Amino acid sequence: MIESVSMSQTPTQKAPRPVNRRTRTLRAFVTGLAVISIYGLISVLPKHFDLWTATKVFGANLQLMFFSPNVGNDSHLLLMQALFASIELAFVTTVLGAGIGLVCGLAAAENIAPRWLSLTTKSVMAFVRAIPTILWVLIYSVALGLGPNAAVVGLTFHSVAYLAKVFANTIEEIPAQTIEALRAGGCGLLPVLCQAVLPSLASRLLSWTFIRFEINFANAVVVGAAAGAGGIGYQLFVASNFYFNFHEVGMIVYYILAFVFVLEAISTKLRHKFID
Amino acid sequence: MLTVTALSKRYTPDKPSLEAVDLQADVGTITAVIGPSGAGKTTLLRSLNQLLKDDEGQVCLDDVDLRQLSKRDLQKARRNIGMIFQNYNLIDALTVLENVLHGCLGAKSTLAGMFAHYTAEEKQEALKLIDEMGLSDFAYTACKHLSGGQKQRVGIARALMQHPKMMLCDEPIASLDPKSAQMVMTILRRLADDKGLIVVVNLHQVDIATEFADHIVALNHGRKVFDGVPADLQAAQIQAIYA
Repeated sequence: MIESVSMSQTPTQKAPRPVNRRTRTLRAFVTGLAVISIYGLISVLPKHFDLWTATKVFGANLQLMFFSPNVGNDSHLLLMQALFASIELAFVTTVLGAGIGLVCGLAAAENIAPRWLSLTTKSVMAFVRAIPTILWVLIYSVALGLGPNAAVVGLTFHSVAYLAKVFANTIEEIPAQTIEALRAGGCGLLPVLCQAVLPSLASRLLSWTFIRFEINFANAVVVGAAAGAGGIGYQLFVASNFYFNFHEVGMIVYYILAFVFVLEAISTKLRHKFID
Repeated sequence: MLTVTALSKRYTPDKPSLEAVDLQADVGTITAVIGPSGAGKTTLLRSLNQLLKDDEGQVCLDDVDLRQLSKRDLQKARRNIGMIFQNYNLIDALTVLENVLHGCLGAKSTLAGMFAHYTAEEKQEALKLIDEMGLSDFAYTACKHLSGGQKQRVGIARALMQHPKMMLCDEPIASLDPKSAQMVMTILRRLADDKGLIVVVNLHQVDIATEFADHIVALNHGRKVFDGVPADLQAAQIQAIYA
């Protein structure tokens, strides 16, 4: 009897799948988030807000920015100089961050360093990473004054913590036997690091460093505006907040975009070179 | 000469990995260690150069007990012991020449080792060893492009760069096809005969062990169950070892 019932079932007559506790919790969580988001959106909008007008103004501003960009009160030379100042800031902080980050990464890697050192380094780095870059720059501004010095130290500080974490994870992926093979031949720790660990991971370490360079460039633009570090971020801040010159804002955005594309092309080429 | 006396190792208190194993290996001979998986072959081999700290016993190479050495002296003593592995353990991104040169890193100062400063003589010697292993066409090829058999020969050349007195081989042919396996074992035989090395090799293949070794030691559950020349190893004993 049971057999005949199950035989007669067709795919369209399938019993609904039972909803388990995990799915119910997930659905409740997503619904709760949606309700809070909608309520938040409604509560932050001013009473006189008109979505249609706002969209039209936004569209017009975008049109000003991207279809009729110009240098406004500045010159191409000045914007180029500002762009290079930001690139310089990103470059210096990335190089410093990668150098110090590599040492910290080695100290944090569980397959290289003693457990106490690895745990201590990881904890300190996690603390530094937990505070956003911009806050570190502002914290250092108190000690060093507003300007590029605080920006260099603040950006480097966060870069070290970020790169130490990803470098340590990368180093931990290296097979233990590769290190053991050299140690079995009487090789000391430092030669093993330089001759076995680094050559095996060079392409991946380079990849991470490039990603951090991209992040540092974006951060350099932000701290240029927010912490008085100068560079293209400062020009963007002045053009948008002081002069409301959307034409110049558009031109600056194009400058930044052009550099990001160049950076991506270089990073792809370097990665291919090192991986092949 | 290598003399192992009453070597014991326990990972867990109730199950010994090695139990009072004795072993003697003369200069210019190959000693094959056979036995089923988990018998303690790798534990024994790794205890011979103290990559694994055993619990009791003696491991004497030329009358020096490696277990009694300080960390620094052990590092020096390991320069006399070459080791090759089942998975080759080479740096795949580096060339064959660079990998072979790594063999002499242990004998260098820390600074020279860090910056891989090799003399012209060392480079020449490495190229000669590469040639002896039949890999001269691949000297400047990255190891990731080599076959398993070729990688294992690079591993042997790297170990020989140390000028070892003893060569430990942890299942060196387990990942190789029969032709490459024969080639690697022939090279090990030649090293024992021509250079007078003590070769200790872990093997799964009893036929290869009887063909190439001068001396066979069989382990089972961490205990030595056979110790003698290949001619003494009878079919019934082999069956008992692998039962």
